[in-house]
Amino acid sequence: MTRPFLSIRNIEKTYGRVVAVQDVSLDIAQGEFVTFLGPSGSGKSTTLYAIAGFLQPTRGDVLLGGKSLLSVPSNKRNIGMVFQRYTLFPHLSVADNVAFPLRVRRQPKAEIDAKVAAMLKLVRLETMADRMPAQMSGGQQQRVALARALAYDPPILLMDEPLSALDKKLREEIQIEIKRIHNETGVTILYVTHDQEEALRLSDRIALFNAGRIEQLGTGHDLYEKPASRFVAGFIGNSNFLHGKLSRSDRSITLPDGTAIQGVALDKVGPGQGDVSIMIRPDHFRLHNGEAAPRLVGTVTDTTYLGEYTQLTVLTAWGGALSVRLPPDDRASPVEKGQSIALTCAPLDVRAF
Amino acid sequence: MTTMTLTREAAVRAPRRMAGFWPTSPALMLLTVFFVAPVLGLLLRSVLEPQPGLQNYVEVFGSTTYLRVFVNTFVVATIVTVVTLMLAFPVAWFLAVAPRRWASLLFAVILLSMWTNLLTRTYAWMVLLQRTGIINKTLMGWGLIASPLPLINNLTGVTVGMTYIMLPFMVLPLQSTIRSLDPATFRAASLCGANRLQVFTRVFLPLAVPGIGAGVLMVFVMSLGYFVTPALLGGTSNMMLAELIAQLVQSLLNWGLAGAAALILLVVSLGIYAVQFRFFGFKAAGEVE
Ligand SMILES: Nc1ncnc2c1ncn2[C@@H]1O[C@H](COP(=O)(O)OP(=O)(O)O)[C@@H](O)[C@H]1O
Ligand SMILES: [Mg+2]
Repeated sequence: MTRPFLSIRNIEKTYGRVVAVQDVSLDIAQGEFVTFLGPSGSGKSTTLYAIAGFLQPTRGDVLLGGKSLLSVPSNKRNIGMVFQRYTLFPHLSVADNVAFPLRVRRQPKAEIDAKVAAMLKLVRLETMADRMPAQMSGGQQQRVALARALAYDPPILLMDEPLSALDKKLREEIQIEIKRIHNETGVTILYVTHDQEEALRLSDRIALFNAGRIEQLGTGHDLYEKPASRFVAGFIGNSNFLHGKLSRSDRSITLPDGTAIQGVALDKVGPGQGDVSIMIRPDHFRLHNGEAAPRLVGTVTDTTYLGEYTQLTVLTAWGGALSVRLPPDDRASPVEKGQSIALTCAPLDVRAF
Repeated sequence: MTTMTLTREAAVRAPRRMAGFWPTSPALMLLTVFFVAPVLGLLLRSVLEPQPGLQNYVEVFGSTTYLRVFVNTFVVATIVTVVTLMLAFPVAWFLAVAPRRWASLLFAVILLSMWTNLLTRTYAWMVLLQRTGIINKTLMGWGLIASPLPLINNLTGVTVGMTYIMLPFMVLPLQSTIRSLDPATFRAASLCGANRLQVFTRVFLPLAVPGIGAGVLMVFVMSLGYFVTPALLGGTSNMMLAELIAQLVQSLLNWGLAGAAALILLVVSLGIYAVQFRFFGFKAAGEVE
C-alpha cells in the first residue's frame, strides 16, 4: 500500500470522564470495504462520526488523500452516509430524496434527473421514484438512503448499522445488494455492525472494537484463525475456553485432567508460566484414532444432527462442558448420548492467551 | 385524551361507543346552559332587534367605521401572529434540543406566566410602557431619546402585550413538533452537502409545518376575539372587534348590532378553523400538547 487513501490517526474522544474511543488508528486503501465490528458501546459510531464531522475528536486526526478533514464542516466533506435509523426526508418523494444532495449543490436539472434515475436503477427501485418514504418498507427506505448517499459520488461511504432494524432474511438480501454496489461503484466503504456474520460476509478487512480500542485489525480469516486476544477469540465464532498450566521448559500446556498438549503457539502469552487460558474452536476437534496426539476424554451429554456437521456437548473429566462440531467423516458410527468419547485437535489450532 | 380513548374503543367495539360519552354530560350541560344558549340568544337578537330583519348586518357591512374595526382586527391579529411565531420559534427550538434541566426551567417560566392573572400581566405592561414608565425613563436617562416614545395606547402597545400573552400558545405546539423530529435527519441533510440555512429551509421548516400550523391557528383565532389587552394597551383609533362588541352592549345597549358583529367573528373563526382542519387534519387543529 502506498500512501493510504483514508488515514485515521490516534483518534481519541472523551466525554468528561467517559472515554468513548482511545488511540484508534487505521489506514484504509481506496476501494476497500472495512468493517468496524464490536459490541454495543465499543466506540464504533464515535469513530465513524469523527470521520463524518458530527463530532470533533479530543485528540488525533483524520486524513483523506493526505489532507486533514477535521477543519472541514460535514457539509463540505463530500462523504456519504447511511444511518441506523431511517433518515429519509419524510416530506420528499424517493426521487426528491435522492436529488436532495444534487439540488443543494445547485447542479443543472438535466444532470440531476439523469443521476437520480441512475441511482434508483443501482438500488433497483426505478419503479418507486414517486413514492413517499412512509409508503415504503424499512429495507426499501435503506436502499433509497444508499442511493441518496451515493448520488454525489462520494469518495467514502459510511454505514452505521444500516440493517440492524431489519429481519434476518431481508438483511441477507440487502447485504448481497451492498456487496454488488460496492463492486459496481468501487466506492470505499466503512461499515459498522455488531453482527459478526455480516462483517465476515461483507468485508475485505475487519477492525474489531472493544472498549473504545481496536482489538485486532485483519481479514475475517485472520480474526478467526489467529485471534490476537482472548476477547477476539471469544467474539468471533464459537469457542471453548479451558484453563491450562503452561510449562516453558517443554513448551507444553497441561489441561486439568492431565492431558498435555505440545507445540502450542505461545506468542500471545505473557512472559512466565503457570495459569493460562486456552481456546479451541468447536470445529477444530476430531475423534482420537489412537495416534500419538493429545487425548482428551469426556462423556457426550447432548448430540444434535445438523446435516453438514453434528453438534456435541461433551462433559470433561474436570466437569467442564465442551462444544464440539464433528465433520461427516468423523461420524461413520453415530455418536450416542451418554457415550464416552476421546477427542484430539492439532496443536496449531490451540490458542493460548 | 378522552377523544383518543373514544376513537380507539369505537374502532374495537362500536356498541359501547355511548358508554364513554355519558360521563361528559355534566360538562356538556354546563356548556349548553351557560355558553351555547346565551350565544344563540345573542345571535338571535341580531336578527330580531330592534325589529326582525337583516338591518343590523346591513349596518355593520355598510358603515366605514365598522369596516375599519374589522380591518384593524385582522391587521392586529396578523401582526401579533407573525411576531409571536418569530419569537416563539427559537424558544421552542431551545426547549426541544436543550439539556433537560435548562429546558424544564424555561418551561416552568412559560407555564408560570400562563398561570398568572391576565389583568395583572397587562397592567404590568402598562407600567413598563407608559410615558413615564421604566422603558421611557431608562432610555431618556441614557440620553438615547429626548422625549418619551409613544409605546402605549397604539398598535405598538397592543402588539407587545398580546404577543407576550400568546407566546405560550405558539411555543407549546411548536416544541412538541420539533421534539418529535429526529436529529439524525438533520445530520443526514448536512452530510448530503446542505449548509445550515439549507438544512433549516429545506428540511427543518417543512417538517415543523404541523406545529407552525397549529400555533398560528390558535394565536390568530384567539387574537381576533381578544378584548382585555387591546382595551387596556390599545388606542381609540385602532379598536378591535371584541372591544366594539363590548362597547355596543355596555355603552350603547345595542344588542342587535353587537349580535351581528359577534356572529361575523364566530363565522370567520370557524372558517379559519375549517381551512386549517382541511390542510393539517385533526392533529394540528386540536392538539396543543
Ligand atoms: N454524547 C455522549 N456523552 C457521553 N458518552 C457518550 C456519548 N456518546 C457516546 N458515549 C459513550 O461512548 C461509548 C461509545 O459509544 P458508541 O461509539 O456510540 O458505541 P457503538 O457505536 O460501538 O455502540 C459508549 O460507552 C457511550 O456510552
Ligand atoms: Mg453505534
